Amino acid sequence: MQPTQIAGKMPPSYKIVGKYFVSSILGFAALTFLMFLNADSMKGYHFQPKLLGLTHIATLGWITMIIFGAMFQLVPVVLQVKLFSEKLAEAQFWIFLFGLTGMVLSFFKFDTFLLAIFASLVSLAMLIFIFNITMSMIKVKEWNITGTYIATALFYLFLTVVAGIMMAMNLYDPYFKTNHLEYLKLHAHLAFVGWVSMVIMGVSYKLIPMFSLSHGFSLKPAKWVFGFINAGLLLLTVEYHFPERTIMLPIGTLLIAVGNLIFLYQVYLIMKSRVRKILDVGLTYTMVSFGMMFISTALGIFLVFEKFLEPGYLEKLVLIYGYLILLGYFSLIIVGQMYKIVPFLVWFHKFSAKVGLEPVPMLKDMYDENYAKIEFVIMNCALAGTVAGIAFGNQTVMYISTGFIFLSSLIFMKNMFSIFLTKGIKNGN
Amino acid sequence: MVTEEQVMNTLRTVIDPEIGINIVDLGLVYDVIIEEAMITVTMTLTTPGCPMHGSITGWVENQVKALEPGYEVLVNLVWEPVWTPDKMSEEAKQELGQ
Repeated sequence: MQPTQIAGKMPPSYKIVGKYFVSSILGFAALTFLMFLNADSMKGYHFQPKLLGLTHIATLGWITMIIFGAMFQLVPVVLQVKLFSEKLAEAQFWIFLFGLTGMVLSFFKFDTFLLAIFASLVSLAMLIFIFNITMSMIKVKEWNITGTYIATALFYLFLTVVAGIMMAMNLYDPYFKTNHLEYLKLHAHLAFVGWVSMVIMGVSYKLIPMFSLSHGFSLKPAKWVFGFINAGLLLLTVEYHFPERTIMLPIGTLLIAVGNLIFLYQVYLIMKSRVRKILDVGLTYTMVSFGMMFISTALGIFLVFEKFLEPGYLEKLVLIYGYLILLGYFSLIIVGQMYKIVPFLVWFHKFSAKVGLEPVPMLKDMYDENYAKIEFVIMNCALAGTVAGIAFGNQTVMYISTGFIFLSSLIFMKNMFSIFLTKGIKNGN
Repeated sequence: MVTEEQVMNTLRTVIDPEIGINIVDLGLVYDVIIEEAMITVTMTLTTPGCPMHGSITGWVENQVKALEPGYEVLVNLVWEPVWTPDKMSEEAKQELGQ
């Protein structure tokens, strides 16, 4: 028997990770509340101040904020390296929060001067993050596929930032030779596919088997996923730097779609070999999220043929496409995985040193699973309701559905804060 | 003097906080050796790089020390042989829905 070399003695700072997590949870509640208040704006053409503001609360205040926190927690654990600098992570947090708040307000007021300034601050925070994680990762001794995906996602985050700041400058003082709205598609797909989805996929290869106790599956498809998605993104990046659409658009889109499908096959292989047959709420969310990924991928292919679609129909499809990616695929997997990651983070911080000395709770005892199940049903029904509301242009359905999404985010927030506030137990396990 | 069986029984109180099943029924404990004033527990975890690694081994150490305070306790965490689901007890398998 070989003794282990694994150290696991590099726990990331609870304070830093917790700060990002709590902000993200509040960001989600703020997002759903503002969606409810502005439900009548979730229609028509997507390039409008309120929708841009809401989208950036979702992508930055909720999704990217949680990824930042999760990376600070997971990179040291999964890759067995120490975070390069906690001070940088702290500075990044405040710059990001300040920049993002100003950026969202600038979008709502459509003040392009302030937008350029606040977007620069957000970009600075992201560059600090990229630097911090890169400096941590160059010390990795045993590389794995999750590390490769995360490193690649960092590269796409950098491209997203560059594209974003260029667009902010272009809004203030137009200089693009291509169409701003076409370039927006590149910015969005670099963010969605290159940054967020790449992180989700890479982390899934590690976390889903860990949580479902899967063994003996092949990770070969994950390498194909990587190749297809990068090839597709490369083609889209080149394509959107030219004013006219070419054959690169459908080919690039198809390559990404094939990559996504192979990823789903990879997830199927992992889940097929799982020991934990009963799915808990965290993994159930995760599986529904992948279903949403499938639907949005199909829609993405359909949208390649936009010039054949009637404008009113196209506007709705674009909104539904973005909505399913942000609130369906991304949000559902984040909510689900937070039911797995946050209990661990808090448990490790509060109870790790007490094991064997006094009774400690199990992770699932740190939140109310019944509430989580109710939240799951409400959130998914309301998501479907919102899609129907957009599709049929029905304002009443939109208000009711976004109201219920807000309600589900409050239940989620309640459960998350229960976890953060968990105290020890007095009588056994 | 403490017996190996007593050590195994006390290890049944060490529960994987994520799975909710004790490490003996999960098949994570490979061997217990008691010699002179030293108890060596050879064990593994379900996944290499498991973030619970430090907590579970610490728990084992504390639990065994509490059983026999005069003894040194060594937790030898190994990855060979690899843990496989067939190492679990029937009760554990049932609990996980198999």
